[in-house]
Amino acid sequence: MNSSYLLETSSLGLDYGAFSAVGNVDLKIRKGSIHTVIGPNGAGKTSLFHCLTGERKPTRGSIHFNGENLTSLAAHKRVSKGMSRSFQITSLFQNLSVRENLRIAAQGRDGLNALKFWVPETANKANVAKADEVLERIKLEKYADRQAGELSHGQQRVLEVGMALCGSPSLLLLDEPTSGMGVDDIPIMTGLISELGKDHTVMLIEHNMRLVMSISDRITVMHQGNILIEGSPEEVKGDEQVKKAYLGESGHE
Amino acid sequence: MNKKTSIFGGVTIIALALMVLMPILLPSVTLATEILIFALAALACNLLLGYTGLLSFGQGIFFGGGAYSASLVMLHLNFGLISALITAILVGALLALIVGALAIRRTGIYFVMLTLSFSQMAYFLAYTFSDWTGGDNGLLDVPRPALTLFGMTISDLQSSEAFYIFVAAVFAIVFVFSRRVIHSPFGTTLVAIRENEGRSSAVGFSTNHFKLVAFVISGAITGLAGALYAMLLNFAPLSNVELLMSENILIMTIIGGTSSLIGSILGAGSIVLMGDLLSSIWPRWMMILGAVLIAVVLFLPGGLWGGILSLTSKFPWKKVKTNVTSEVTK
Amino acid sequence: MNLYLFQVVNGIGLGMIYFLISVGLSIIFGLLNFVNFAHGAFYLLGAYLSYTAVSITGNYWLALIIAPLCIAFFAWVCERTLIKRVYHLPHMYQILVTLGVALIIQELCISIWGPIGKSISPPDSLKGVIAIGEFYYPQYRLFVIAFAAVVALLVWYLLDKTKFGALVRAGSEDAETVSLLGTHTHRLFSITFALGVGLAGLAGVLAAPIKGIHPFVGPEVLGIAFVVVVIGGMGSFTGALVGGLLVGIVQSVMSTLWPQGASLMIYAAMALVILVRPYGLFGRA
Repeated sequence: MNSSYLLETSSLGLDYGAFSAVGNVDLKIRKGSIHTVIGPNGAGKTSLFHCLTGERKPTRGSIHFNGENLTSLAAHKRVSKGMSRSFQITSLFQNLSVRENLRIAAQGRDGLNALKFWVPETANKANVAKADEVLERIKLEKYADRQAGELSHGQQRVLEVGMALCGSPSLLLLDEPTSGMGVDDIPIMTGLISELGKDHTVMLIEHNMRLVMSISDRITVMHQGNILIEGSPEEVKGDEQVKKAYLGESGHE
Repeated sequence: MNKKTSIFGGVTIIALALMVLMPILLPSVTLATEILIFALAALACNLLLGYTGLLSFGQGIFFGGGAYSASLVMLHLNFGLISALITAILVGALLALIVGALAIRRTGIYFVMLTLSFSQMAYFLAYTFSDWTGGDNGLLDVPRPALTLFGMTISDLQSSEAFYIFVAAVFAIVFVFSRRVIHSPFGTTLVAIRENEGRSSAVGFSTNHFKLVAFVISGAITGLAGALYAMLLNFAPLSNVELLMSENILIMTIIGGTSSLIGSILGAGSIVLMGDLLSSIWPRWMMILGAVLIAVVLFLPGGLWGGILSLTSKFPWKKVKTNVTSEVTK
Repeated sequence: MNLYLFQVVNGIGLGMIYFLISVGLSIIFGLLNFVNFAHGAFYLLGAYLSYTAVSITGNYWLALIIAPLCIAFFAWVCERTLIKRVYHLPHMYQILVTLGVALIIQELCISIWGPIGKSISPPDSLKGVIAIGEFYYPQYRLFVIAFAAVVALLVWYLLDKTKFGALVRAGSEDAETVSLLGTHTHRLFSITFALGVGLAGLAGVLAAPIKGIHPFVGPEVLGIAFVVVVIGGMGSFTGALVGGLLVGIVQSVMSTLWPQGASLMIYAAMALVILVRPYGLFGRA
């Protein structure tokens, strides 16, 4: 096992009955890189993502993270291993303040220690500090005391990533971070992710090609459940197979 | 907000004021005692419903379990007041652990149905094992032991005033304890689970553990309430474990309002008072209760406390409403 | 041996009644995502209405038709005036409203028919016993099994073979589809609610000559329906049938072996099913 990779899957696959959503995937994510998985609809990106987050149990193959086999570890236990995720469909604590959203997300690292019901919620100063730190990093300080549900869609998408950040992850798994964002907001997300890439390993699924090409170190293209090609943005851009895969999709529609 | 004001200030002061006013304003001290006992049960139910989003029809199991266990240890083992109450707390917690561990295997409406079925099961258990529970007749001659601390008898608690003061003291302790629970890492996690269970799990919480502990705390408090009720009546009737008891506790909680613990006192107060006033006039008064339930859902979804808040417009009505509608099993 | 056979056949009859109750609950939940906590109360009302119908007309067969229709109509009125207002609300409020309805129905029944309970006898033509070799069995109970089986077949046909059934199933699969059905959704909802509740009423009528009519039976019936649905799986016709029969037979056989524990056993069975198969025998995850 090469220690320059943070995450390695070998022959990872996920079947739904007779249908194989993920066929046989060897994905390697280098430490410190921003690694994007793209592919036409139905290529198996989301199913692959679900296997990595622990939402689905893979049918075959293994997932190694930091040299440790986490193939069948429950989703919530992956946080303490250093994996943290965001959702494609915004998933916040809508009626709580932005700051409380972040503090609770940070509290998630405590595991069963958060069962303490005899101390004030602010007793763990590290969680309060983490929330403040992330608040600053995602530039939502002004909205700290607003209810999350009252934020604009773009701000909610940013908070969505911020909550993943509160887990102090070594690997950030972002599921279509720009999903549903307006054109004007996308540069904010682009900036945020590339800035996070400086001190995190980031793996993301994304459709917005401009964002993908501008921030990714590596790109994996998936097609029909398998990896079509992996390479730098330039290599992927010029690849004929990739063009065919995408054209094939639109040809069907 | 510093931590002193968060658990001893605000609504805690309102709760204390209510405890002082009730025996003065109400027709009898016993009635006030009954209200506080049911307020305990409603408060425990609120921890599950309002703060965790778990709608449990199993509260009667813990209430009846507390009543039976405290009565049995007092009758057969000569337990004193405090040790009998502690027994009830432990039995309530244990029953909640069992029911909770099974019920939280399912979510949403299945969870609700499971708690209801367990409630029925507990009733048939109590009915079947009548050697222990007295069956239909209930457990008779339940004593009300004297309050002794460190070998000193503080009060024999025989007068209804003395017992009220004791119950009020217990209630005050539980109220402050519950405020602490709500404003703890645990309590805030419960709210997170209520708001969005999927996200709570994604940020690292093992949500079932939290739900289970919430259940245990709720069961412990409900068991305590059941024991106090048996001491008040000198009697532990089978109706304690009937489904109707679970329903009543739920109704009190929801009518009072689930956005605050104060709501539980209001809910218990209004239902107990309604029962007391109406049942003597019209035996079918539960029909009115049914109508009130429907009316609350249609016109006052925040419950009584939500209504009061909106009247005093301390909070805009909209905010109360959104808080409440989110507190639900999906 | 004959005793056990007798109890098993009894259990099938009981199970068919439980099926009628549960399948209504299940269909309503499937389509409307709505839990009817008044289901047991409608069963009760059905039983009482049949009592009055029999007392007035002296004809059980008339009661068997009129009472369930009245219940279905009543349910339809309830749906149009009250239930439809809470579809969009969270389950907690739906439960509260139907709990309120259940309380009102129960108390209404007591005011009208008294707190003691009533009994009605089976029609004269079904009063005797039937002999199959060595085995004697009350005619009425056999009739209940046959009649309920016919109703079950009709319900199955309705759900599986008709346009109405297709709409109900489509709606159960995906709530979005229902909203695409356009202006007739509210009618579909009302009819489904009336049908499901009507079946509970029918169960009440069928059970009355066997079990008598007790004003506080509503919560018990509701509890059993929940057990059946938890065992069988919510929204599943087969689940309601198998679950109903299972619960009926277990309860009936246990009543010979351990009378006091008969009711207890079905709840224990339910707990067991949850432990082994959390989604029920026929439920989907």
